[in-house]
Amino acid sequence: MVRSVGWKSRERPGSGGGIMTALPIVPDYRAQSPAVRDRFQRIRERPVILSVRNLTKCYAAEDGTRTVFDGLSLDIRRREFITVIGPSGCGKSTFIRIIAGLDEATSGEVLLDGKAVAGPGPDRGMVFQGYTLFPWLTVRQNVMFGLEMRGKARVTAEGEAREWLDMVGLGKFEQSYPHELSGGMKQRVAIARALANEPRILIMDEPFGALDSLTRCKMQGYLLQIWKQVDATILFITHDLDEAVLLSDRILVMGTNPGRVVEFIENPVPRPRTSAQMIAPEFIAMKHRLDELIHPPAEIGEEEKLPMIRLTQAGEDIE
Amino acid sequence: MAANDWLGLKHELPPRRRFVLLVLSFAAPLILWCLVSYVPWLWHPLVRISDPGEVEYFTEDMDIPREDFARELEKARQNGAALPVGERVNPVYLPAPHAVVRSFYTAFITPPRLPGEPWLHESLGHSIRTISWAFFLSSLVGVPLGILCGTFRFFSRIHEPFIEFFRYLPAPAFGALCVAILGIDDGPKVAIIFIGTFFQQVLVIANTVRKVDPALIEAAQTLGASRLMLVRRVIIPATITDIYTDMRILLGWAWTYLIVAEVVGTMSGITYFISQQARYRNFDNVYAAIAMIGIIGFTSDIALAWLGRVIFPWKRTNKRPNRFVAWCARWVGKVGSGPAPEAAS
Repeated sequence: MVRSVGWKSRERPGSGGGIMTALPIVPDYRAQSPAVRDRFQRIRERPVILSVRNLTKCYAAEDGTRTVFDGLSLDIRRREFITVIGPSGCGKSTFIRIIAGLDEATSGEVLLDGKAVAGPGPDRGMVFQGYTLFPWLTVRQNVMFGLEMRGKARVTAEGEAREWLDMVGLGKFEQSYPHELSGGMKQRVAIARALANEPRILIMDEPFGALDSLTRCKMQGYLLQIWKQVDATILFITHDLDEAVLLSDRILVMGTNPGRVVEFIENPVPRPRTSAQMIAPEFIAMKHRLDELIHPPAEIGEEEKLPMIRLTQAGEDIE
Repeated sequence: MAANDWLGLKHELPPRRRFVLLVLSFAAPLILWCLVSYVPWLWHPLVRISDPGEVEYFTEDMDIPREDFARELEKARQNGAALPVGERVNPVYLPAPHAVVRSFYTAFITPPRLPGEPWLHESLGHSIRTISWAFFLSSLVGVPLGILCGTFRFFSRIHEPFIEFFRYLPAPAFGALCVAILGIDDGPKVAIIFIGTFFQQVLVIANTVRKVDPALIEAAQTLGASRLMLVRRVIIPATITDIYTDMRILLGWAWTYLIVAEVVGTMSGITYFISQQARYRNFDNVYAAIAMIGIIGFTSDIALAWLGRVIFPWKRTNKRPNRFVAWCARWVGKVGSGPAPEAAS
């Protein structure tokens, strides 16, 4: 596992960009190798699947209306992998819930293949952090659920469900109930269940957030493999910088108060991706940029410094 | 936590201790009852006369308070008359355990005193029939209404305020009204149990349904489930196990209304048996009949709990249910949801 504990500990904002002082030569995150530039050029030629126009969300609070985010616009093209990242409270979850049709926007619109969406539908598949598998159905019946909702015959649905389960490597567990599976396996079933509907876009709301870091690492690998095999456009929410850089084509960085797009970055890390790239210069540059955007230097300082009183003897310093 | 700690907070006890405590929980009241019944100097406030001697108002088999007996005995001794003889007994309304145990058998084989009076098994059957009808009718309306109220705010707002009010009206208060409307036979009895159960049932089930994980509903919506499908394929299966548990508890409540209901109109069922036996002063039969109600309720609840584990395989935590249970589950599943998942290969 390349992703070592050392990386994790050094990325913490408390260390104030110490990572960068240790590695003085970091390329500009906007610099793209010719291969990457070509790839983005090709992506730009693909049709737009999802288009968000001036999306605004407000809600009434005790002290007047509060704006969750204001004037969000973006286009997502076919088979792109978009990651949304931002500090907590920037409204990224609300944003994708509106796209999924589970929440309503105050103004603006979401267009899927040029048509405005209203309410949830099978054309926008969703994978939740909390798995949300139906506990009373077996693994296979879970995957069949969406197919049956669309009126497919039971036999057809069964066959397709089996294929999807084979794809996520869980063919052997089709007769198990969700409570018999581990967290990573449950989330693979949830992905298979969402993909079985062949959605135009797959929305993933911090899908690996509840998993331990080893499982999460494996799941990222699985997801990249699956994405390569199927015609899926993915909109992925995370708060993990590594995950964002490792998976996505473009990264949408959101800011708070009110939520807004801070930057929509083309990820310069070439594909195919492996976790070995986590120490590549582009990767570090990209991650450093995200770190800057999400934890601006001004924010660190007063509020993150705990008002501690020294409780140890002099001469017992641990650093 | 120390292994020998009997009073660990929220700390499950080892199986042996659980068993010991289970036995004790039944044994403790039984032992108390035995002590009071079989140890002569404990309580026993009366004396049963076996030989009246020359005391005028004493007759054989008469129960007399101990002080009165002692006074008469003293008087007879001073007058040099024949002494009365008797032994200390408990009041007739506290029979000894062995007498009650015997009644479990004899009550069934003793023919009724009056012609046309029901036998014990007929009385019990009558009670079970009454409660079954009432609970069935209540569930027939109450369960769907509860599910609707729990699912749609509309039904909740339009029904629940009135039901909330009505459930405070004690069911027995409707006795006279029910007799006036439904006659004196089983009609009013079923109606009273229905009134006692139905309103609670709607509220309890609505609350259970409201507790369904909203994330499951959202997941189903993003998979394309329509409103009807959400109710049928998500809300009902998601809550059915909890509804089942609610129903077990509600059935217990229905039993408590049974006795009140059977007094209304012409007394019937087990209540009639109990009151007749009390009139004949066969208190051992009375205790046996009361215990029978408890046993029927308790065993039916255990049976339903077991059945629940069979019907709802996803609630079982052990991975390998025994083969009979698995077979039952598959069979029930086949009946319940059309074509079954084919047998595991």
